[in-house]
Amino acid sequence: MLLQNLYNKVLGFFRQTEQEEVESAKDTACNRLRVVLMQDRTNLTPELMDRMRKELVELLSKYVEMDKEALDLSLEQDGEQVALMLSIPVIRAKDEEEIKEALAKEDAEEDNQNEETSEKDDEAEDEQTSDDEESSEDEEAADTEEPQEEIEEDKKD
Amino acid sequence: MSGRVIVITSGKGGVGKTTTNANIGTALAKTGKKVVMIDTDLGLRNLDLLLGLENRIVYTIVDVVEERCKLKQALVKDKKNPNLCLLAAAQTRDKTAVTEEQLKDICEKLQKDFDFILVDCPAGIEQGFQNAVAGASEAIVVTTPEMSAVRDADRIIGLLEAKEEIKSYKLLLNRVRPNLIKSNDMMSVDDVVEILSADLIGIIPEDTGIITSTNKGEPIVNDEKSLAGKAYNNVARRIIGEDVPFLDLEEPKGLVAKMKKFFSGLKGDK
Repeated sequence: MLLQNLYNKVLGFFRQTEQEEVESAKDTACNRLRVVLMQDRTNLTPELMDRMRKELVELLSKYVEMDKEALDLSLEQDGEQVALMLSIPVIRAKDEEEIKEALAKEDAEEDNQNEETSEKDDEAEDEQTSDDEESSEDEEAADTEEPQEEIEEDKKD
Repeated sequence: MSGRVIVITSGKGGVGKTTTNANIGTALAKTGKKVVMIDTDLGLRNLDLLLGLENRIVYTIVDVVEERCKLKQALVKDKKNPNLCLLAAAQTRDKTAVTEEQLKDICEKLQKDFDFILVDCPAGIEQGFQNAVAGASEAIVVTTPEMSAVRDADRIIGLLEAKEEIKSYKLLLNRVRPNLIKSNDMMSVDDVVEILSADLIGIIPEDTGIITSTNKGEPIVNDEKSLAGKAYNNVARRIIGEDVPFLDLEEPKGLVAKMKKFFSGLKGDK
């Protein structure tokens, strides 16, 4: 026990320089406060920020390959000005073909969706008297989710 | 005469609103100004205790509003300073006993006879706060370097900014502990000012003397030796318009402390 204590102390001595870099209680308080005040002032809840983050990942993935987990989105204040800070570690720039492919896929999706919605509209018009609208909305949601999964799978390859 | 109506508010409870009110009021009166303090914390009155006036209250603000007495009859004179008066809150009623209009009316009447009307606001952002703010044109937001107090102060500042009647507001940072700030365990004055981006009117150090002064019913500004008392006196002077520098709370006392500071300064050169 004594030896272990001594060992820890010696280790602690050498680690002291590292420990100084650890965030102080004051810095933690300041940082947490800044975040929470931004939320209070802008009405952006953590859920909304998370959603914004996800949508940004989706959008930007078309153009660059990035570290999705490390993408950092935060609100910062500089005096009176509130800024939305986005930091994205880029793993690799996508080449032209990849970008074109992603965009083409998206365009195709959009066309599909437009067709689908117009089809749905037609259906809805046809079945105005029936109460099937809810179920058709569900179908629509399911349809739009599928292509997104495909994109993700493509990237894993 | 048209006195200045200043509301002292904080959002969070327990940060020292009432203590601040008692001390700034007493300090202003000591400079020769005529001061009246209004306790609007209906049901939870305490300003009378801090001033040691609890046994002298005959009528309260509710008696004035419900016309059981004249406004002047309800004003309790301070024991020491004839320039200082208190309009006490009713202890048996709640916040609905007085309306915004009624408080505004009382403030307007008092403005004719007093240089300063200090309104002690209850904690919270509900009707009690709305009432207290109604007659005021200036505000002092009391906060401490703690997260919850700063967050609530931010909320209060937002509400004050939305009120047209409030022409200016200042921040008073209470219960500052220089040792904790020095060791980076507490937010510094600069941190709080930067986060809230508000003008500072005072920095009050944590002082155990506040407890004894409250127990005695004697505001700490009457204690010449107390650092917190000095800081409150400085706040009063700034309110009057004097340019008073902020106290250096980190100044060590005595030779030993000064030596320590000197050596630690050499070691921790960054």
